[in-house]
Amino acid sequence: MTRAGTSMAPGRSAAAPRVLLLVPARTYRAAGFLLAAARMGLDLVVGSDGALPLGGRPVIPVSPGDPDRSARRIVARSGPVDAVVAADTPMLVLAAAVAARMGLPHNPVEAVLNAGDKSRQRQRWAAAGVDQPGFEIVPAVAPEGRIRDAAEAVGFPCVVKAVSLSASQGILRADDPAAAVAAARRIRQVLDAARRSRHEPLLVEEYLPGPELSIDALLAGGGLAVTAVFDKPQTPDGPTFEETLLVTPSRLPAPVLAAAVRTAGQAARALGLTGGPVHAELRIDDRAGRPRPAMLELAARCIGGLCSRALRFPGGQILEELVLASALGQPVPAIGPEPARPSGVFMLPVPRPGVLRAVEGRADAAAVPGITGLTIAIPVGQRVLPLPDGDRYLGFIFAEAGTGQEVEQALLAARDRLRVVIK
Amino acid sequence: MTDLTAEVTAALARSVVPSVIARGAAVRVADLRDGIVTLEVTGSPGAVFPLASRIEALIRAAVPGITAVRLVTPGAGPAGSPPEAGGDLAEAARRVLDTEVNPAVAAHRGHVTVAGAADGWIRIRLEGGCQGCSLAEVTIRQGIEPLLRARLPAMAGLIDVTDHETGTDPFFSPEKR
Repeated sequence: MTRAGTSMAPGRSAAAPRVLLLVPARTYRAAGFLLAAARMGLDLVVGSDGALPLGGRPVIPVSPGDPDRSARRIVARSGPVDAVVAADTPMLVLAAAVAARMGLPHNPVEAVLNAGDKSRQRQRWAAAGVDQPGFEIVPAVAPEGRIRDAAEAVGFPCVVKAVSLSASQGILRADDPAAAVAAARRIRQVLDAARRSRHEPLLVEEYLPGPELSIDALLAGGGLAVTAVFDKPQTPDGPTFEETLLVTPSRLPAPVLAAAVRTAGQAARALGLTGGPVHAELRIDDRAGRPRPAMLELAARCIGGLCSRALRFPGGQILEELVLASALGQPVPAIGPEPARPSGVFMLPVPRPGVLRAVEGRADAAAVPGITGLTIAIPVGQRVLPLPDGDRYLGFIFAEAGTGQEVEQALLAARDRLRVVIK
Repeated sequence: MTDLTAEVTAALARSVVPSVIARGAAVRVADLRDGIVTLEVTGSPGAVFPLASRIEALIRAAVPGITAVRLVTPGAGPAGSPPEAGGDLAEAARRVLDTEVNPAVAAHRGHVTVAGAADGWIRIRLEGGCQGCSLAEVTIRQGIEPLLRARLPAMAGLIDVTDHETGTDPFFSPEKR
């Protein structure tokens, strides 16, 4: 990710900054980063686990599951670079490993591993005094009675989570001991289907009621430069936790937002992160009569899926340009203080398992005033799975309007005009 | 810049440009006369053309003096116009694609065709496993474009006119993270 300062890498002539971009095969983000690099005039070297070698520019084959070997290959073949950037989650550890070998400033591998494991997050945050739900970690080899004990220790309702999955996959609410045990069994099946380690523990944590939000920021100099705060006004109470509606800027009171940003910054530092994009998810727990931001999860990356399309930055920049600029140690333009025009995104969840046959009503949905885009992300004919088994969304609806409430209304109206056919 | 052009530019910046950029393309006002605005789309406009009617509706709603919106690519006619037949550049590009690119992308069930060429700009369309693939842009910008530039010095630029959203068999599909 980062090579602070403006000097070039050793052995390089003064020219366009050279960036190693690690692109996983299954990402929404490749086009955004390539366009950002082109707009910034960067010299790009790409490493990927899916790209075909066509003899154009260097595309280095890598395997994110084998970061040591891939890092050695990259160092041998890429030539000097000024920064290493992971385009999406599967490349985060490899990017850190490569940067360490090249001597480039970057998040340490250990910090990235901390951010990629929900049980490590909870332990680090507990040690640092970061506000979060009460939790218990149940080893994979523990008898089912341990799940029951853990759930009773944190209290009901509770949430049972896989520690290595994302996008709300492998997360279930449980309202009693039997439901907690059933949830754990189900999540083990999800982990098996996702080919995760059989030694992976499960997380059992307190269910926090209250508004949910996400904070996206760039971490630099120990502080967070916030790029967006999304309210999530329709986050369900369970048993699954589909992220559907995201609206920015947040309509939460300024003091609550400021406290949430402080908590997210504290959480990032507690994991050992030092730079780059941060995506934090929090709930505002107001059971004690005063709003208390509590950390749910944090990832060392930008907001997922196509959600960044809902964001607006000065001069027409896209989020990926800010990430690349930050990685190169270039100043990132201030995002505020004037509020951005309200915008939002609705992520279409998979309603039931089956084969996607059609998404009807798209023209009607796109015609709703305020709607600025509608993308169906899964091709017709593909098998789809709802949460907690699946990790994909059918598509994304985007809106802009004069107020956050109008954005929300436009997105929901557009959603209501769509008919998803799954057989 | 006329007032009307400024209004259209502002409407573009507010409601269109961000999502166009995020789809791997860029857009600007190329011409405005008699209420008809011509927008030039560069980069990978294939991802943008399916939005043409929506973009027109947005601009017409924001700027009442506009009666129609046309999308064009550099050196080409309006979006959706028939591909130009023949042409030395198109034929030369076709040869390079067929000998040096298509044998490789066939490994991913893909195929790349030339949709047209004019004024140095080559328009390509990705098919099969390449249409809608999450790595299509990497294949184009890191592989096909520099290869064509090296082989065809007369090439001014490469435009992907594929409607990726309608791809039914992409080799790699993106995952939400």
